[in-house]
Amino acid sequence: MNAGTNGAEALPERTFTMVVGALGGEGGGVLTSWIVAAAESMGYPSQSTSIPGVAQRTGATTYYIEIYPVHHDRLEGRSPTMALYATPGNMDVVVTSELMEAGRALELGWVTPSRTTLISSSHRVYSILEKSAMGDGRVEVSDLVKTANHLARRPILIDMDRLAQANGTAINAVILGVIAGSGEVPIPAEAFEKAIEKTGVAVSANLRGFKAGFDHVRGDIPMPEEPPPVERRTPGNIDALLSRVDEAFPPETRQILQDGVRRAVDFQNLAYGGRYLDNAGKILAADKANGGAEKGFRLTIEGGRYLALWMTYEDIIRVASLKSRPERMERVRREVGAKAEEPVVVTEFLKPGFDEIASVLPPALGRALTQWKEKKPSRQNFHIAMRVKTNTVFGYVRLWGLAKMRFWRPHSYRFAEEWSEIETWLAALESAAGRSYDLASEIAELPNLRKGYSDTHRRGIGNYRKVFEELARPASSATGDAAGAVAALNAARTAALADPEGDALRTVLVAPPGEAPESQAQAAE
Amino acid sequence: MERTFAKEVELLRRGDGEYFEGEGILAITKALLQSGVSYVGGYQGAPVSHLMDVLTSDSKGLMAELGVHTEVCANEAAAAAMLAASINYPIRGAVTWKSTVGTNVAADALSNVASAGVIGGSLIILGEDYGEGASIIQERTHAFAMKCSAWLMDPRPHHPRVVELIEKGFELSEASHTPVMVEFRIRACHVTGRFATKDNKPGEFSTNKKLEKPSFDLGRIALPPATYEQEKKKVEERFPAAIDFIRENKLNEVFPGKHDDVGIVCLGGLYNSVIRGLQQLGLADVFGNSEIPILCLNVTYPLVDDEIADFCATKRSVLIVEEGFPEYHEQAINALLRKADLNTEIVGKGVFPKAGEYQAEVMLRGLAGFIEGSVPKGIDLEPVSSAVADLDRNKETAAEMLGRPVPKRPPGFCTGCPERPVFSAIKLVQREEDIGEVHISADIGCHTFAALPPFGLGNTVTGYGLGLASSAGVAPHFNGRTISIMGDGGFWHNGLSSGISGAAYNEHDSVLVVMANGYSSATGQQHLPSTTAGGNIPSDTVMPIERAIKGLGVKWVRKQHTYRVGKMKKLLHEALTTSEKGLKVIIAEAECQIAKQRRLRPMVRKALDAGNRVVRTRFGVDEDTCTGDHSCIRLSGCPSLTVKANPDPLRKDPVAHVNNGCVGCGLCGEVADAAVLCPSFYKADVIQNPKGMDLFLDKWRKNVIGRLGGYANGAAANGAAAKGNGAAA
Repeated sequence: MNAGTNGAEALPERTFTMVVGALGGEGGGVLTSWIVAAAESMGYPSQSTSIPGVAQRTGATTYYIEIYPVHHDRLEGRSPTMALYATPGNMDVVVTSELMEAGRALELGWVTPSRTTLISSSHRVYSILEKSAMGDGRVEVSDLVKTANHLARRPILIDMDRLAQANGTAINAVILGVIAGSGEVPIPAEAFEKAIEKTGVAVSANLRGFKAGFDHVRGDIPMPEEPPPVERRTPGNIDALLSRVDEAFPPETRQILQDGVRRAVDFQNLAYGGRYLDNAGKILAADKANGGAEKGFRLTIEGGRYLALWMTYEDIIRVASLKSRPERMERVRREVGAKAEEPVVVTEFLKPGFDEIASVLPPALGRALTQWKEKKPSRQNFHIAMRVKTNTVFGYVRLWGLAKMRFWRPHSYRFAEEWSEIETWLAALESAAGRSYDLASEIAELPNLRKGYSDTHRRGIGNYRKVFEELARPASSATGDAAGAVAALNAARTAALADPEGDALRTVLVAPPGEAPESQAQAAE
Repeated sequence: MERTFAKEVELLRRGDGEYFEGEGILAITKALLQSGVSYVGGYQGAPVSHLMDVLTSDSKGLMAELGVHTEVCANEAAAAAMLAASINYPIRGAVTWKSTVGTNVAADALSNVASAGVIGGSLIILGEDYGEGASIIQERTHAFAMKCSAWLMDPRPHHPRVVELIEKGFELSEASHTPVMVEFRIRACHVTGRFATKDNKPGEFSTNKKLEKPSFDLGRIALPPATYEQEKKKVEERFPAAIDFIRENKLNEVFPGKHDDVGIVCLGGLYNSVIRGLQQLGLADVFGNSEIPILCLNVTYPLVDDEIADFCATKRSVLIVEEGFPEYHEQAINALLRKADLNTEIVGKGVFPKAGEYQAEVMLRGLAGFIEGSVPKGIDLEPVSSAVADLDRNKETAAEMLGRPVPKRPPGFCTGCPERPVFSAIKLVQREEDIGEVHISADIGCHTFAALPPFGLGNTVTGYGLGLASSAGVAPHFNGRTISIMGDGGFWHNGLSSGISGAAYNEHDSVLVVMANGYSSATGQQHLPSTTAGGNIPSDTVMPIERAIKGLGVKWVRKQHTYRVGKMKKLLHEALTTSEKGLKVIIAEAECQIAKQRRLRPMVRKALDAGNRVVRTRFGVDEDTCTGDHSCIRLSGCPSLTVKANPDPLRKDPVAHVNNGCVGCGLCGEVADAAVLCPSFYKADVIQNPKGMDLFLDKWRKNVIGRLGGYANGAAANGAAAKGNGAAA
């Protein structure tokens, strides 16, 4: 095909094509209108289409742009025929505002090695399915980045979200800057800037974002550093405990165990840190005795992790302590973007019920209250709704007072209950290690089911106990090949985190006698 | 609407010697004004909402000058009925809606107008919402044109041609006394482009130049024997007149090409896609000059038989490019060739899929399949097959390297949406032992999104405003009561009559939740009879939903602010369990957050610039106390409530996190409270431009709290953290 005329300069044989994949609400429409306005200001025939449709909010949306970079006047009344869809194999520039959307573009065949520049922000905006998983539902992106680098003629992956945040602007302006700075679009930067000015909305912020993207992609400015996290309080002098870790534990395990020690001391006191290491030592012994050295002491690492988390369970004393720390308020101020001179009033939503009250009573009283509560289901619904304003004097004193009750904790009902279960778990873990290393590792990770507060916590504990009593404990004391037990435990752990109602878990566990197994259909729901 | 359309109105005013540059739907609007319409009406819905928005808001001045009456119709049936003006009088008019759903609603009036016939040009602008991004069931409009003998145009998406065809459409309507539907696919409505404008034309009669006396003609009334006469006229007079007009005015276009032993017949709306496909196969240039001849049908009903027979007569094989099922054109063309005794091979649904939109890739593969099958004389097949092979290879590589399909990203409610809390409450009330799972008859609107994750609420959707009506058959077959949903848009569209009056008359014993967010939100925040726009509409012109329902004799009617999840849950529980018989209606009220933010944001900016005290509310999650179980996300689904890597080195699962998109609606705190989730949520009120009292109070608080070891101020806090204290004692 030759579309050239008798003019001095041959006309381009095809239109410039570009697709923008954004998420509803990110300003993809405005971004597109800037690009089209810039093309129009050059006198270039151009067109754009969009598919907001039902995807208007938070779903994936696409905008498609074509530009014929020749002034109308040179075309002598002819006009290029432009397509309305992004076409695989025919894209010059593919832009996505988020990394998983780049994956979608790759999957659709929009990115071809001979032609396509892929411009994508490298940050993630998690989809609802990733966010709502009970554990970690986030998609692994390393394959995606590899594919992008392989298939794009020129891959440009930049954390444009961070550039936007650092410049106090929206991401669409930064994206426009990167597009302009890449030099892959046949429109000069000034035309884009004029388009932003012409829109007349938040002009200075948008121009700032544009410049940040433009300068960064050309290598003129570095990626702004993320501010360092607010430093956490160091709980007293724990050097002795830390050296104990260095002396008594293999190098692979030290990081986790030192974090564990810090947490245990922060939760209670130095002695509690010592108690943590005593128990971690038991796990290490079982680990070593069963060839742990060749397995990187996985058992001690995972066992040490969940032991620390379990030992520092979240009771109201712990929550009050965490919420009344100075560094926490600093973090809140930063998170909500408060300026130095702006006062912030923080309100907490607390709703303790009988469980929370029982947890801090002496064991006998706590047990009695719990038993009384369980006689009538409606007592489960009793709660004291508290709205505490943490940085008013009265509000702070309430949390401060609760946090000060730490000295009492070792004499509380919940402390006794948790420790009795921790010890059963440790014993099962140690005994399982003798039978199978993998079995012990599965048991080590089981306490991850004990998460959350209130109802969620009750369900989590219920799930943990079911799996522990029905699978883990019997397996730990049995003999012979443990492959079946390992698989069953793993399946149960996964199922327990699959849905909040525990339907999946019920189908995985063998139904106790007299109870019909749930149907698959219900479980699928 | 809380938007302005001043820029669009300026474009509509352009005249001779000027150019229009902008969106397709606005170009269509301009074409109507250039054609001398006297009235325009319609019902909003993507992709034609913009037409209504522009004509019924900021262009009032322009409309008054031209004497055009504009009407925001209650529904599509009302819009179609407006065309009655053109039955008796030489008045041009146009109405618009989303098809096919809107055409379904309009069908009664449409049939009657088509049967009576028109003397004033009557156009129906249809937003053909078919294919990717569509928000409705997938059907085509074509059957409506055939069954009531109205004509259907499908212009190729090129602004100058679109404008010309709309002007011709009015002439076609007048020449054949028939209403003409003009369909535009969603992308064609949003496509931007350029055309030379003409002066706007006032109508023959208008609000400035009134009719003198009414005309009466029994022959135009839908009563026998006139109806029999009208049917005959359709066949004997109007249809032939239309065919002649289409042929003489060359509404359809033939583009010649050098491989003329084969050809392509395509619907106008698909023309650009055909050209792009041919370009990729090396068979067309950038200006659309094709090597394969094309007959482009800008009028898709009726077909001009001899036009098509002439095109096919010299060809071995012809490809028909039409989307959807059944393949009306392929069948019609096969039949007409048979009658003309022509043996041209017709290819269509064999190389194209029977269902679904012909997106770029489908088009490319279909064209390649046709060319490889028919092998036009003297063609080099290599570029054709290599284009498809390259495409395959590229997609295979991507799929292989990605390892697994990229997860879907379903849409959901906006940040701060007032409808989300209602579904949180429904989810929570179903957890109560005396309630359990409830059948939910859902409706059309933003609230339909409740069927998607994380809520999964809504058992059926049967049409706009039909939520309650669709519960009539199923509710009596449950022990417990069912819940129906209806938006305020659906309520005024037809829900009041088809749902509430029916339920009241038949003594239904079920629960209806009316989502009253104050706008027709899903279509772009258009105003409704009950819209208050945050109190900006004079109260004597607002029609309250509550009074309308009570006026029908429903006794149990409660209003509840949606964000109070606990109260909403209690109210739902009461409605589901009360011993009172009859319909129980909960009006769930709170303003659409998009509209609210659009109104408030400039006001807040102004107040801040003026140095006034403004409290900004945001929510957050304490990363220290969050255990990463994400119950809160499953009960909310707010886009600004997300996850981030756990800063705690011991925890693996990500923690919940509120990002900067938060508008401070408070739902996460409410849900945490109502569901007794966890103590991690906090509300932060940031006092911007603090006054003396704020600063004094803040200083005093920091002083006391600092002495107790708490937060003193920014600088000291880090010091205190680094110092450590007696925590380990």
